[in-house]
Amino acid sequence: MPNRVAIVGIGQTYHTTRRPDVNQPEMVAEAVRAALADAQLSIKDIEAVFSANMETFEGIFLPDHGMAAEIGAFNKPGFKVNTGGTTGGSAVVEGFYMVSSGLYDVAMVVGFEKQDCGDTTAAISAAATPMWGKGAATGAIGEFAKQALSYMETSGATEEHAAMVRLKADRNACRNPYAHLKLGLKSVDEVLQSPYLVWPLRILDFCPQSCGACVLILASENKAKKITKKPVWIADVEVVHQEPFRAGVFGDPTGKETYTQHVACERLYKRNGITNPRRDIDTAEIYEPSNWEEMNLYEHFHFCEKGEGWKLIEKGITEIEGEFPVNCSGGVLATNPIGATPIIRVAEAALQIRGDAGEHQATRDIKTALASALGGPNWTILTLLKRSL
Amino acid sequence: MAKASPKKKAKEKEPEYIHVKFDMPRRYNWSTGRHLGHFYAQAKENKKIVGNRCPQCKEIWVPPTLVCPKCKVEMGWDLVELPQTGTVYQYTYLVLPLWDPHYGEKWANPYPSATILLDNGVFYRHRLEDTDKDKLKVGTRVQAVWKEDYEERGEGPADILYFKEIGK
Repeated sequence: MPNRVAIVGIGQTYHTTRRPDVNQPEMVAEAVRAALADAQLSIKDIEAVFSANMETFEGIFLPDHGMAAEIGAFNKPGFKVNTGGTTGGSAVVEGFYMVSSGLYDVAMVVGFEKQDCGDTTAAISAAATPMWGKGAATGAIGEFAKQALSYMETSGATEEHAAMVRLKADRNACRNPYAHLKLGLKSVDEVLQSPYLVWPLRILDFCPQSCGACVLILASENKAKKITKKPVWIADVEVVHQEPFRAGVFGDPTGKETYTQHVACERLYKRNGITNPRRDIDTAEIYEPSNWEEMNLYEHFHFCEKGEGWKLIEKGITEIEGEFPVNCSGGVLATNPIGATPIIRVAEAALQIRGDAGEHQATRDIKTALASALGGPNWTILTLLKRSL
Repeated sequence: MAKASPKKKAKEKEPEYIHVKFDMPRRYNWSTGRHLGHFYAQAKENKKIVGNRCPQCKEIWVPPTLVCPKCKVEMGWDLVELPQTGTVYQYTYLVLPLWDPHYGEKWANPYPSATILLDNGVFYRHRLEDTDKDKLKVGTRVQAVWKEDYEERGEGPADILYFKEIGK
């Protein structure tokens, strides 16, 4: 039986487009300090540090070497992971493995991206396999444009529904002091007036490029109970990989493709006795790079039947006051510092369980939450959090 | 939670970035290998698209691959030539300037990129002929157009210039 693992400290920076006032290590240090303050720990209490960053985005290679001091990793074990969009999720899983194995009692997970340094879309295209990427690399935006088209054609959802997803994200982001895009949007028409980025995706259909960092402190059961009165337990994790450059990796109406979300859900739900996710889970923080992908993911994670994701939005079920709130933080649509993004999903889900989300706390009581990460050619990582085990 | 995290400050004079310009070519030498190399050779020599078929699940993988991702068995050399006609299955019209991951040059822009369902049921991802974006639609019949000059071929998937619309 592996050791139980809890989140005992949460910290993040505010997220924004540009941070010329700090360099990468200084920015990350803000989140590290915030997490230590939250856990009321000193950096000396941290036994190992695991970091997460997509280094080609900034052009700062081996960034963990350059910030050993700032993240408190000097003379300590730990290493950096880079798995594409799922990077931060991989780091959380990594920290979970290390503490649950009994190797460390207190570990820190540090995710960051300072996207004002480079050209993210170019870096994503350049990340395609050099011998086979040609003709396939369209950046993340091209993939989600194709996915939007497939979703529109098969589900009956309209552009108005996609606009309603942005309105929900924006309303929630405006209540979250750390969120990046806070636009104060009032109507569907306002969203539909935004220009096309890549047809059929509008600028307001897609996530921003943010600078920011997010840090979690994980502890074993005995330590966790000493450190905090409100530990949030990591009940389970699941990681599923996908073959690169399959057709329709993000949306396939033929049903020929295997979705990593389905595989991940099936395993995680089965192990944890979840038969009706909307009843057995109280909220979700999902990794939705586009408005359309949010509706698509509702279906993939079995929050509703296939082809009905847009109905959850239409009926307001996933609103902060709704029966099944999703992305109370404003989600990736509002805030996307890549390497930190999946860690923010876990952090925000944990805040909801603690009841510490402040103005963006869900109306209903949150005891169980699901966080997801998405990346590369549709890889999926799921983290299931609980108030009590 | 995280009360120590700094709040966004009111407007003050913005510090400056250091702008760095790279003007140094980097050389890489990638091996195409035996399986992907076969795709490169067939494209250059015969203007053919080839994949290989899994001995267990019989699924065709393009480009040819060493191991079937689903069955985890060695694929072997049951090579299959793919049809060069198909149907547009998903598409998008890219207006953002993107980089060619192959040679590090900027791609001409805008252009339509598509997932094409080849006539044997295999998916193939490539660009479409530069065309009026309003004419693009799902279900359009298309055919591969190759680089005609032998000397210009040898770039694998890029030996196909684009897929162009053909009659029904």
